[in-house]
Amino acid sequence: MTQIRLERLSKRFGATLALRDFSLDIEESEFLVLLGPSGCGKTTCLRTLAGLEQPDSGRILLGERDITGLEPRQRDMAMVFQSYALYPHLNVFENIAFPLLVRKLEAPEADRRVREAAARLDLAGLLERRPRELSGGQRQRVALARAIVRRPNAFLFDEPLSNLDAKLRVDMRAELKRLQHELGVTSLYVTHDQAEAMTLGRRLAVMKDGVLAQVGPPEEVYSRPANQFVAGFLGSPAMNFLAGRVDGGARRFVSGALAVPLTAEHLERLGDGAPVTLGVRPENVEVERQSGDGWLPGRVWVSESMGNENLLVVEAGEYRVRCRTAPEMRLEFEAPVWIRFRPDRLHFFDTSSGRALWP
Amino acid sequence: MNKLGKLGGTAALAVAVLATLLPLYWLATLSLKREVDQFAVPPLWVSFQPTWAHYSDIFVNRNFGRYLWNSAAAASVSTLLALAMGTAAAYSLARRPRPGLAFWILSTRMFPPVVSIVPLFLMLRWAGLLDSIAALMLLYTAFNLPFVVWMMRGFFQELPPDLEEAAMMDGQTRLGALWRVVLPLVRPALAATAAFCLVIAWNEFLFALIVAQTDQAMTLPVGIAGRVTQYEIKWGAMSAAGVVAMLPVFLFAALMQKHMVRGLSLGAVKG
Repeated sequence: MTQIRLERLSKRFGATLALRDFSLDIEESEFLVLLGPSGCGKTTCLRTLAGLEQPDSGRILLGERDITGLEPRQRDMAMVFQSYALYPHLNVFENIAFPLLVRKLEAPEADRRVREAAARLDLAGLLERRPRELSGGQRQRVALARAIVRRPNAFLFDEPLSNLDAKLRVDMRAELKRLQHELGVTSLYVTHDQAEAMTLGRRLAVMKDGVLAQVGPPEEVYSRPANQFVAGFLGSPAMNFLAGRVDGGARRFVSGALAVPLTAEHLERLGDGAPVTLGVRPENVEVERQSGDGWLPGRVWVSESMGNENLLVVEAGEYRVRCRTAPEMRLEFEAPVWIRFRPDRLHFFDTSSGRALWP
Repeated sequence: MNKLGKLGGTAALAVAVLATLLPLYWLATLSLKREVDQFAVPPLWVSFQPTWAHYSDIFVNRNFGRYLWNSAAAASVSTLLALAMGTAAAYSLARRPRPGLAFWILSTRMFPPVVSIVPLFLMLRWAGLLDSIAALMLLYTAFNLPFVVWMMRGFFQELPPDLEEAAMMDGQTRLGALWRVVLPLVRPALAATAAFCLVIAWNEFLFALIVAQTDQAMTLPVGIAGRVTQYEIKWGAMSAAGVVAMLPVFLFAALMQKHMVRGLSLGAVKG
């Protein structure tokens, strides 16, 4: 039983409240990613679970067991640090063997398990090296090997890939996902990188200011964000937001000079005259060179070719709208274009609270 | 021009080295000269008849063997004690900072030691510790402790807490993490700090002077000064004792040199 339950955790550092009444369940063998901007409390959450910080209030349950006041070693969780935190005075073998040594495992068994973990992470040829003789990617592998050499109650990852260069990060990301799948150990992964958040976790929890903004499968969090913060934080380029109100008579959403037609379902849910914020992801903005019925005129503010797609910023009315188009769509500065928001992919948020109204 | 500059630099260095080494040479030769040769004019730089008389004098007629032992005992025991306690205090101060406390610890070393002589003397007399090596061990420990705390705290602060947290996640207690991960990493710093304490205690004069009343607690610096008597100055004996006092420190420094250089530059380069 290695289900983990965080119950109403609060933690204050001086004047900042890092966790406020924070609750989260992590299912057995689940890979849960905790995503949020820096300073949102995600690392505090992880460290509290690890036992490196004590919460001011709340409980942590491991299965049925209350582990709130326990020392890190009594919780038997393995952690992978952003800095790798390898022991510089020990070689790779000794680094990986360190958790076993503490547990007074018999030497032949420890030796077998270290070699097994090392082989799994392609470190077999490096066992005699010191950490400073390794590349960043190799160091990260040693840190992972040290975590998997035993069967902990949980893996805790604290932005483990953010010190790697971009290409290596993508490779390690896939490898990490495979590793967790094979080992089936309950995992909590903290990151501010949304690509990691989207790809790694079976579930994704988004945090802001010490509270949980939304939790669910990544696709769901992406396509049905619970509030404007989650909507804006996930996705790159970020979702476009247009503050305005609903004009029930004309059956449209109006923001300054821009007007977007609405369906009956929209109107029913949003109500007439309500101040709402429209959200639309760049991939749901259609761009054409010719005008059409209900299309909005604009000018190209900047166009960035990514090879497999084009990222476009179009100046329309008082807004700069981010769009994602096919790579064939080559456009010069100031080129006149027409844009349309895909009506089935609109998001609406309460302007004052940010709460999602649609979908 | 460049060559000339280099030559000038070398010459300047040569003068500095000579100025540093000459007194040592003079001390060493003086300890080997017969009394008639000691103040010969012009000085006898090399061509004198060497004698071991002064060495046998200090060890046979005088109790310098005892002084040497006393000095070694007081310096080494106090260094070990100060290191053990100071390192523990420094670690906790580095990880759980108490604003201002570290400064107050160091501030105990800011007054001239001589002001504390009278109260210390009274306290030692009350405790029955006068004329004992234990008193010197105690005093040197107390006086080196702030330095150890201050120096080691800096080294610990340089060390990322991730390492000991990793050790704790791997199943160590905090003390276990300190012992197995942190201390091995600050070994150079420990060596440098130990050398510092040892030299201070070894050369200390003032406290040794008031504590020692007989040979029982006499240390080398006090013993050497004792060769200046009311009627004569025993230059040969003083020089011989000086050489004897220098040698252990010299050897220790040579042994520790590798560690000390790393210790002094620890933290200058992020590992």
